[in-house]
Amino acid sequence: MNRRLVTSLALVLFTGVGSVRADDWGTISGRFVFGGAKPTASDIKADKDVEVCGKHKLLNEELVVGADGGVANVVVFVRDKDIKIHPDLAATKNTPVTLDNKDCRFEPHVAVIQTGQPLVLKNSDTIGHNSNVATIKNSPSNSLIPAGGDSKVTFNAEEAIPAQVTCNIHPWMKAWLVVRPNPYAAVSKPDGSFEIKGLPAGEVELQLWHEKAGYIGEIKVGGKSEKTAKGRKKVTVKAGENAMGDITLDASLFKK
Amino acid sequence: MIPSTHPSSVASRGIAAGSLSSTAPAVSRPPAIGWSWLAVGVVVTVAIATTGCGGAPAASFRANLVESTKQRLTPQQESQVATVMLALFGTPDEPVALPETGLDQAKLTLAAGPVRSDIVGRKNGLYREHCAHCHGITGDGLGPTAAFLNPYPRDYRPGVFKFKSTERADKPTRDDLVRLLHNGVPGTSMPSFALLSETQIDALVEYVKYLSIRGETELALARAFFELDDDAKGELPQTREFLVDEMLTPVADKWRAADEARIPVPEMPADIDMAASIAKGKELFYGDKANCVKCHGVTGLGDGQANDYDDWNKNIVEITKEIDGTAERAREAKTSGMTEEQRAEHRANIAWVNRFHGVLDGDALQPRTIPPRNLRQGIYRGGRRPLDLYYRIHAGINGAPMPAAKGTVPPEDIWHIVNYVRSLPYGFDGELGADRSTTSVQRDRM
Repeated sequence: MNRRLVTSLALVLFTGVGSVRADDWGTISGRFVFGGAKPTASDIKADKDVEVCGKHKLLNEELVVGADGGVANVVVFVRDKDIKIHPDLAATKNTPVTLDNKDCRFEPHVAVIQTGQPLVLKNSDTIGHNSNVATIKNSPSNSLIPAGGDSKVTFNAEEAIPAQVTCNIHPWMKAWLVVRPNPYAAVSKPDGSFEIKGLPAGEVELQLWHEKAGYIGEIKVGGKSEKTAKGRKKVTVKAGENAMGDITLDASLFKK
Repeated sequence: MIPSTHPSSVASRGIAAGSLSSTAPAVSRPPAIGWSWLAVGVVVTVAIATTGCGGAPAASFRANLVESTKQRLTPQQESQVATVMLALFGTPDEPVALPETGLDQAKLTLAAGPVRSDIVGRKNGLYREHCAHCHGITGDGLGPTAAFLNPYPRDYRPGVFKFKSTERADKPTRDDLVRLLHNGVPGTSMPSFALLSETQIDALVEYVKYLSIRGETELALARAFFELDDDAKGELPQTREFLVDEMLTPVADKWRAADEARIPVPEMPADIDMAASIAKGKELFYGDKANCVKCHGVTGLGDGQANDYDDWNKNIVEITKEIDGTAERAREAKTSGMTEEQRAEHRANIAWVNRFHGVLDGDALQPRTIPPRNLRQGIYRGGRRPLDLYYRIHAGINGAPMPAAKGTVPPEDIWHIVNYVRSLPYGFDGELGADRSTTSVQRDRM
């Protein structure tokens, strides 16, 4: 066999193996904190299907701030188009994401999905719903989802702005769908914390979004204000943990 | 404020004016990278436009200021969009059909321009004669009569059409639009144009497609700025690959694909027991699966869920919320402690709010909710054939809250619902009138 071919093959293999070494990948984490007096979420009074929806305590979920000031449902994703994907994450595309119509609200309120990954629009309620998915780059859809039923959708193109999902029968129901071309996206938990694992070491550009604030234009890290035009923030990922700590979002951002 | 699309302003910018070497349509030139192909298009358009109708002011398309203001485009960016649009689509007097649009230039010419007769007495300028007063020169649904009509005339620019034989998100077929022009849209101000010749209707359909492709491309361009990398310095790439292949072609391709997106309809069995079918349809109408009752109401009068908006009006409602929020934020801001940068942003926000109020005054109509159809009237906007109702139920209504039954309700059940709905104008079957008290109890439970 051609010796040069073998050598180059070995080189390819070696680099291939090299690229999955643990020390080439990092995790970004942080916590979004509300800068201002903690707002209280207002109640929603169900005026349709009252005998079912009236039983549940429904809150306006546009801005959810936890007891400790954490801002839930802030979306963080990596903007870079051709980012290297950690081998362990490659298969995440095959696992369906579920957006459930449950207790007359959507669960979760903000869902992240990759292009090509199946979305299951499910209905765990005993009443009928519909899920109006207002994507822009992908064909929008609006299917009836009967009690106990489901409907599947996939998306081919990434969406520049998270898409709204609504139920036309119960107009208070609202959710958001973040369609990304890679697995590097997270939604902050009720305590405001988020984590994106398996990022290739090096510089990446994050993008921060919240349904009330839109793309977040200003953040405060370690007491220092920083402009993040269009919600974009470049960070350098080192191998291992990269804790960003508390990221304060001023109350005025949520007035848009 | 309005970025001028008047040819002379483009010419005065002097974009490679010297590169005009022939009077052959620029669109047939082999694609060149960069500005040159675009410039030739602009210059040829200018040349044609300025040799046209003597003395009459040239008509111009209105820029989509609602979208460009929503995207916070700078005046330079708005003008870039206007220049690109002029090169890609020409003017209302001289529309351009790039091969990528799949449009027929001869048909567009017949429909476009001022109302006039040519040398053989053939009527030209059909769109302006029959359509523009409601749908606007630009097809933005903002013609002079628009504000006085209910429902408002369709704005073609988002590329969304309601009454068609294709799946929910797909474009209508040519035949769908021809049928709509023939029949008009019952229950709205859209009349029948059945008195026009087939050639004329055909030309108008082509022109509506042109305006829609044009409008949707403009939307794509306005939205594309947001996704630019920082090193693009806020300018869209001036390449054919980007402007035509990435922006225009995907829009045009959706129109080309319409014929393949036709809804498959199994025939209703000829020997169907109509009474049984209507009874089954009624069950489905009130049932949890099809759930028609939630919006069309227990009585079928369209008085169920009635405070929703269609996509066109919802856009304005949501923009208004954003403007109000930004205004509130600006009012509450304490300017004293601001850095120079924050102060500039604050001023920009105020300017944006003020500008948007002006834009909405001139380029949007007061939003209206969309009532679910009253099914007792026997007026069907998208056509009264059983087949038309089948399409509506199967695919839902694009742009409207009506969801698709496809996948949830099997075809034979859709036919039962069609039969029940068609029976509604003719009888009260206990839901209205005699059983009023029961009805109100049921309504309260909804």
